[in-house]
Amino acid sequence: MATTKAQITIQSDITTNPITIIKEMTMHKFQSNVGLEETTGLRTKKFAAETAVVIVEQDEFTNDKASKVYIRNTGTSKENFFYVAKHASAAASDTAAVTLGKLYGGDWMLIPYLADVNITVAPSTTDAMTLEFMVFQE
Amino acid sequence: MATTTATVSITSADLTPGMALGISADTTLYQTGTTTGLELVDVGAGRLTQASGADSLQEALGTADTSNWIYICNNSTDVEQYMKIGIHDTVIGNLGSGEWLWMPWNMGTADNEINIEAEASGTIPYEYAIFKSTFTLPAKT
Repeated sequence: MATTKAQITIQSDITTNPITIIKEMTMHKFQSNVGLEETTGLRTKKFAAETAVVIVEQDEFTNDKASKVYIRNTGTSKENFFYVAKHASAAASDTAAVTLGKLYGGDWMLIPYLADVNITVAPSTTDAMTLEFMVFQE
Repeated sequence: MATTTATVSITSADLTPGMALGISADTTLYQTGTTTGLELVDVGAGRLTQASGADSLQEALGTADTSNWIYICNNSTDVEQYMKIGIHDTVIGNLGSGEWLWMPWNMGTADNEINIEAEASGTIPYEYAIFKSTFTLPAKT
């Protein structure tokens, strides 16, 4: 059994009493204490067009389990971003219900993944940008 | 200006044999397209029961082009208890006991509420923090 841990630390001074959240989790199989044992490995992909691209194909994974997806925009730009959407192929937009959100330079996300629909990204610019991503799967 | 940072560390000595995994990343949260920090936050905790079905944790404002972030943690210690997390009709995934998520949240359409649902019997304690960029609070109803 593999042991994979992920720790998040959030710090904020939005409120007068600063917020600090520190939480560690071990990635387990669905309804189990057995650790996830498979991964796609860490992938890196460069983009230079606004075309939407599927980065995670749902049919590579078992549906309705406890997979996790990590995605990070490795750039530094706070003007350019990637839309991230759960959709088979459609380009994302601010008004699309399937759009989860946007990753600007340096932004990262770690979510559970149902593997029911592809994960698609769409760059906001034709300027070169790079994503790194990894699926932890059951 | 407020400063909010989010850091992650993902490690494993044995997921990929012969090659230890070590990922670390940190980011500062800004309002869309700027280097101005987010200014609104909702922090809370609650308890979910399966009988309640899917509940809206936070309604979307329908404000396009904003930057918003969500942290949710399932604080249950019972491995049978998990939470389904969704944005409107899009189910993101199953959040198992002791697990957390961190993701951007698109509020571009007012339908895009964050919803949570308890699965398996019993009560699931959870906590959340939602960081938002907009200065506009929802209108009085």
